[in-house]
Amino acid sequence: MRDDKTLVLSQIRESLRTAHLPAARALVPPRAAIAQGDRAQLIENFRRELEPLGGSSYLARNDEQAIAVVLQILGQGDGREVLTWADEDIPVRGLGAALSLNNYARLDVNLPADAEGRKRKLAELASAAAGITGAMAGFADTASVALGTSATRSRLASLLPPTHIAILRTSDLFPDMACFFAANPHVTRDASNLVFVTGPSRTADIELTLQRGVHGPKFVHVVLVD
Amino acid sequence: MSEHISNVTFHDRVDDALRNQILHTALDRATGRFQSLRANALAELQDADVVRDRARLIRAHTLSKLDTYLEQFVANVEKAGGHVHFARDANALNEIVNEIARTRNVRGVVKGKSMISEETHLNHALEAEHIRVVETDLGEYIVQLAGETPSHIVAPAIHKTKEEIGELFHQKINIPYTDDPALMTAAARHVLRREFLDADMGISGVNFGVAETGSICLVENEGNGRLTTTAPRIHVALMGIERLVPNLDDLSVMLQVLARSSTGQKITVYTNLITGPRQDDEGDGPDELHVILLDNGRSKVLATEVAEILYCIRCGACLNACPVYREIGGHAYGSVYTGPVGAVLTPALEGIAPWSDLPHASSLCGACRQVCPVRIDIPRMLLVERDWATRAGKLQWWLRLGLRMYSFTVTRPTLFKLATTAGRWGSRLVGASSGGWIRSLPPPLNGWTQSRDFPAFAQKSFSEQFEASRKK
Repeated sequence: MRDDKTLVLSQIRESLRTAHLPAARALVPPRAAIAQGDRAQLIENFRRELEPLGGSSYLARNDEQAIAVVLQILGQGDGREVLTWADEDIPVRGLGAALSLNNYARLDVNLPADAEGRKRKLAELASAAAGITGAMAGFADTASVALGTSATRSRLASLLPPTHIAILRTSDLFPDMACFFAANPHVTRDASNLVFVTGPSRTADIELTLQRGVHGPKFVHVVLVD
Repeated sequence: MSEHISNVTFHDRVDDALRNQILHTALDRATGRFQSLRANALAELQDADVVRDRARLIRAHTLSKLDTYLEQFVANVEKAGGHVHFARDANALNEIVNEIARTRNVRGVVKGKSMISEETHLNHALEAEHIRVVETDLGEYIVQLAGETPSHIVAPAIHKTKEEIGELFHQKINIPYTDDPALMTAAARHVLRREFLDADMGISGVNFGVAETGSICLVENEGNGRLTTTAPRIHVALMGIERLVPNLDDLSVMLQVLARSSTGQKITVYTNLITGPRQDDEGDGPDELHVILLDNGRSKVLATEVAEILYCIRCGACLNACPVYREIGGHAYGSVYTGPVGAVLTPALEGIAPWSDLPHASSLCGACRQVCPVRIDIPRMLLVERDWATRAGKLQWWLRLGLRMYSFTVTRPTLFKLATTAGRWGSRLVGASSGGWIRSLPPPLNGWTQSRDFPAFAQKSFSEQFEASRKK
C-alpha cells in the first residue's frame, strides 16, 4: 500500500499549508522531572493509592520476609503451578529455592513457533494458579507497577493467572510516570512490551456495577522490599 | 461510517429514544455518574488547568507537523520490527486486514475495543471472508451478541439493563438465566478466555502512537487489550493518522487527563506500551505486529475550519456533559461517533449532505467545551457546520423563505414596527388559552412547534420599554 502512504502524506502536506490549528506552537520541553521524593513518603503514597483499587500491598524489611509473604499468598489458593519471571528478574534472593521446596512447579512460558503448538501451550498455561514477577518501577501517585518484557520476563505471568504477585524494590519507586520516563528514556527500546499495571482487572460495563477480575488477574499483590 | 440509516430520519430516531424509558434511566445514571467521577478526579489533579493547557498544546503542535511526526513514527515502528500500512479509506483498511489474514491462514480473530474498526465496519468485511470475529471488551461483547452497535465511546452497552443482558447470555452462550453482574462477568470471562487462546489474530485500537519511539499506547481496564495483543501470533493495531504524540513525556501528560476525563480514574488498570512484535529471544507475545494508519478523510479535514476536532482523544466526557446526548443516547445520532464530538466529526469526515441534522443536535450550551480535556471549541465548529448545511441547500424551503422575509422586514424600521405589533397581538391571542405559550402553529411554522412550545410575545416591545425607561 505504498501508494496510500504517498497519497495520505501529500494530502496532509497540502492541507497543512493553509491549516488553521488553534493553539498550535512549538513545544518547549517541560521543566525537568522532579528528583526522587522522600522514600518513606513514596511508600506510603503507593500503599494508600493501591488499597481503594482492590489491590493489596505488603512492606517487607528483607528477603526472608518477602518470601514468607509470597508463600502465604500462594497458600491461600490451592493450585501448585505458577508462572514466574527468572530468578534474576525478581529482586528477592532465594525465592526460586523456596518455591521448589514448597512443591510449587514453575511452568515454562516459552511459546512454540508453530500456530497449533502455540495454542496448546497457551491452554496449558491458562490453568496456573498464580504469576510472580518483579517490577522495574512503581509510581507512587497511582500505585502502578511497571513491567517490561525480556527473554526472561514474560507477559503471561502477570496476565493469565487469577492472582498476580509483583515484587518491587522500594528504591525503584518514582513519584509518577513522567519521572520514570525521564530517568529511563530508552525503556521502550529494551522492552517490546511495557505495561503499567494499576490494581486488579476491572469492568463496569453491566449497569456500571464494578466487577473485578474480568480478563486479567482478580487479585493483585505488590510486595515492597525495603 | 457510511451506514446512514436513510429510511429512518434523525427526528424519528430521536422520538424513539425519547419514548424509551429504560434507555432514559440508564443514560441518566451512567452520564450522571461519569460526570461526577470526572469532576472529582480533575479536582484531585494538581494544576489541572495547566495540564489541560499542556495537553491541548501537545495535540495542536503534533497536528501542525503531522507529516513529520508520521514519518518519524513509521520509521521507528519499522525499526522495532513492526509493519506499517497506510489506508486511504475504510475499504483500503479492511482489504489490508483481510490480506494479512488470508496470507497467514487466520481463521479466528479476537478484538479489543477499536473505534476505527467501527468506522470501517471491519467485522462485516472479515466475516464476509468467513473469518470468525469475537469482541472481547465486555460491553462490546454484549453489543455484538445482541447484534447492535455501541451507544457510548467508553461504555458501549450502557443502553442495556442487567435483565436484558441476562436474557441475552442465556440465549446466546447457554448459561442459566441470571441478572447478577458478577456471575455474568464470570461467564463472559470463561467463554472469552477460550477465544483468546484459540485466536490466530488479535485486533486492537490505539490511544496514542509515540513518534520518537515507535510505540503504540493502549489503555484499558479489563485486560482484554493485553490478551488481544499477547496471546494470538499476529497483532494488528488500528489507528487514525492524527493519533500521535511526539515523545514519552508528552504521552505522560495526555495520560494524566485521559482516564480522569473518561471514567474518573487517575489511570486505567493497564497502560500498554507496545514497541514492535516480540523480540527474537522473548518467550511470549505476537510474532508479527502490523500498524494500520487510517486516513478516511482526516487529511482533508486538516485544511478545514473544523480541523480542531482532530485534537480529540476520545475520552467521552463531552457525551456525558451534553444535555442532548443525555436525553437521546448514542444510537439516535445514527453515526459511529456520537455526542458533541460525533456531531462535528461525522459531517467533517463524510460530508455534510447526509449528516446535515447532526450539527443541529445541540443547544450550543458549551458544556462540551468546558469538560473537554484538550479544550476543543465544539460549539464554534457546530456553527461552522450549520453554515455548511445551509450553503449545501439543506435548509427547508419555508425556513429559507422565512429568513428572506425576516431580513426584508428588519431592515425597514416602519415595516418592522408594524410586524412586531401584529405578531404581539396575534401571538397573545393564540397563546391566551395556554398560559402564554403557543403549543402549535399552522404549517409551515408547525415544524417549530412539533417538538417545542413557542412563547407569546411580550406585552411591550423592547424599543417601547427602552423609550419608557429613558423618559423616567
